[in-house]
Amino acid sequence: MLGASLYISWCSAKNRVLVRLRRLREPRYLIGAVAGVAYFYFAIFARGQRAGRGPGRGQDRGIDFGPAFQSGGMSLAGLFALCFALVPWVLPARSKLLEFSEAEREFLFPAPVSRRQLLAHRIVRSQVGSIIASVFIGLFAAPIAGVARLRLAFAFWILAVTINVYGAAVSLTRARFQSPNANVRRSAWLPIGILAGAVAVVATSIGRQLLRQPPASAADLFVQLARVTSTGLTRVVLWPFIAIVSPPFGGSAAFIPAFASALLVLSAVIAWMLLNDSMFDEVAGQSQSAQADVDQTPASGTTTRSTRIGWTLPLTGRAELALFWKGVMETVRAVNIKSWRIVPPLIGLSVGLVGASFGIAGAQRMRGPSAFITAFGCLAAGVATLFGPQMMRLDLRSDFAHLDLLKSWPMRAADVIRGEMAWPVAAVSGVACFAILTAALFSGAGLPQVRFVDRWAVAIAVVIAAPAMIAAQFTVHNAATVLFPAWVQLGTQRTRGIDAMGQRLVMLAAVLVSLLLFAVPGAIGAGVIWLIFHRLVGAVVLIPMALVFAAIVLTEVLAVTELLGPAYEKIDVTSVERPE
Amino acid sequence: MAIDVEHFTRSYGSFTAVDDLSLRVTAGEIVGLIGPNGAGKTTTLRALAGILRPTSGRIAIDGHDLATNAIQAKRRLAFMPDEPHLFEYLTVEEHLRLTARLYTVADFDARAKALIDELELAGKERSLPGELSRGMRQKVVIACGLVRDASVLLFDEPLTGLDPIGIRKMRSTIVARGRAGAAILVSSHLLHLVEEICTRVVIMDRGRKVADGTVAELASKAEAAAGSNLEQIFLRVTGRE
Repeated sequence: MLGASLYISWCSAKNRVLVRLRRLREPRYLIGAVAGVAYFYFAIFARGQRAGRGPGRGQDRGIDFGPAFQSGGMSLAGLFALCFALVPWVLPARSKLLEFSEAEREFLFPAPVSRRQLLAHRIVRSQVGSIIASVFIGLFAAPIAGVARLRLAFAFWILAVTINVYGAAVSLTRARFQSPNANVRRSAWLPIGILAGAVAVVATSIGRQLLRQPPASAADLFVQLARVTSTGLTRVVLWPFIAIVSPPFGGSAAFIPAFASALLVLSAVIAWMLLNDSMFDEVAGQSQSAQADVDQTPASGTTTRSTRIGWTLPLTGRAELALFWKGVMETVRAVNIKSWRIVPPLIGLSVGLVGASFGIAGAQRMRGPSAFITAFGCLAAGVATLFGPQMMRLDLRSDFAHLDLLKSWPMRAADVIRGEMAWPVAAVSGVACFAILTAALFSGAGLPQVRFVDRWAVAIAVVIAAPAMIAAQFTVHNAATVLFPAWVQLGTQRTRGIDAMGQRLVMLAAVLVSLLLFAVPGAIGAGVIWLIFHRLVGAVVLIPMALVFAAIVLTEVLAVTELLGPAYEKIDVTSVERPE
Repeated sequence: MAIDVEHFTRSYGSFTAVDDLSLRVTAGEIVGLIGPNGAGKTTTLRALAGILRPTSGRIAIDGHDLATNAIQAKRRLAFMPDEPHLFEYLTVEEHLRLTARLYTVADFDARAKALIDELELAGKERSLPGELSRGMRQKVVIACGLVRDASVLLFDEPLTGLDPIGIRKMRSTIVARGRAGAAILVSSHLLHLVEEICTRVVIMDRGRKVADGTVAELASKAEAAAGSNLEQIFLRVTGRE
């Protein structure tokens, strides 16, 4: 089976590269590849050459964290790893390692191979992604050079594989709780008991230390945590967690023993995962049912149930509104158990926004909850306007999987594009407007020094202008989708390859330049309004300025979507790269 | 002429999938499109549905050129592909309603109910695609195609995934639509089905049309023995006897 796994991985990788090389015969993809190669050159090799001319040339320059970090810092990293290990137990997520492709299910599930071998196969197949990611980390790591890059790549690889396998092992163990057999259910408590014991030991030690000597500052808290986790039983309990995170931080001499320790931990995690192979059918079956568009048969009770939304599509009206309705249905129904996937990034975003809000409120000498809400609202509106169109992909980008169907509909191409964009534009605009209006409502207490009229003039202007800018960004993203169909990411699939990386760079530059081009005429129009009226009406002039700006930008959006029509008609559906 | 294909050619890079195909289907005709794998049948159907653009040649549906008057042409046709791609978060009833809205179907409720009963989808109206079997999803695709009054019906392997009762019903559905005046093009490897329901058969091989006519005409042209069935004619015409 190992040979078969390696064969599948090798042939798939080789043929994927060949497909991408063939794609370079088209100039647009060639441009992406050139951009990707240029980025590689300037980001890695040219930088390496510059570093080579400096002091320490040709040396194996690794990261030197010093002896203090090697003791206390590593323990803290181990503590962090222990907390991270709790996450899949508390927030269960589907393990990618246990998601078999349709081809794997059809070829391998009926094959005379054991479930354990299938699990091992998934570990082997996941190596291509892990190795490529590790090589990139090694290449792009800025402060290091020489063999240290290789060491970092190995360290990242073992960390990535351990996290993947651990997640799969947790999923398989959790599945034991669904078993009708009491013994099977009981055995699931063993790893939970071990982890709970480790948490209890560490928490008790930390609690005692902090009660004995309350931390005087944040820095003191870290010092105390480092002290308590690097001694005694706590250190022993944390050893596996320290072992897995330690390889990147050692010098050349410490690397081999650190890597060997990490390898030992990985072996134990793999063994734990393989010992749970009896739960394979439960978990792989769930993953199968989750991939709704490739399902063969339903697994009762495991699929998403339809919920009544209370909005029936009228049978007459503009076709774009039908696509708007479809977007609403998909969004509302997608917010179910799958939403767990967005919990971690949402938490990260919220933490970032809250932190930044405190920062802004502090810098502006604003005090109280109103000040915080004002700052938070402004930031949330900014983030929604600038990054919302990149994050919410419920437009032509996600519907490319249904391109056959879309192209057979009796709709003008421009109407399809606008219809696909309508709901995400409305949703992101709604978030931005809600955030800015909330900020405006609380701004009286948060910013008492600014006049009421001025505050609301700004808020209303943003409410008018933000949807236009959001629509402009969606237009740019959908234009890229129509013009470069092979670069489109279908669903959660992420296109890979040097041309795809170049494409992302080209896209980033294109989005910025296009937004600038979209905004300039609107800004000129708004500027004219300002010159004429600002002396007469003060800050209120912002409202007509925003109206002119929005009108010009939305006219541009209409014009660009019309111009995209012929390109949409010419899209070759065979050029869309589909996942296995 | 309901379907009028003139010198249609479709290439993928240096590979020509369909080469200089000319084909006509009149109202009320049920034409079977058969051929070995890779003959260009699906490419032809996808081009007729407006999904693929011809490299050269002209395709017209009910007199509307697909290149210059695509919307009017598409409004008159229904394409039922062999692979049922449905929207993950729309129910069966919502798929039908969306189709009805896009194609402006007047008496939707009555039509939808009749189709749901006809295709044995009753009780599944509120199911999402993920809750349906392959055959059920195929029936939803067919229901979406039949919910409007299309004058041209294109079926690509319509019986894939259906159970014996579904196959029987589908067969009678296709025949009934043909009798009602629709021009129907059916691509299938089930030669007995094609022989049974089609008024005419087109055989394609390596991207080219190699035969066109009724089963009797094909048998005569192929100099097949008297009483030969479509399978024997097909093997003879394509040189695989």
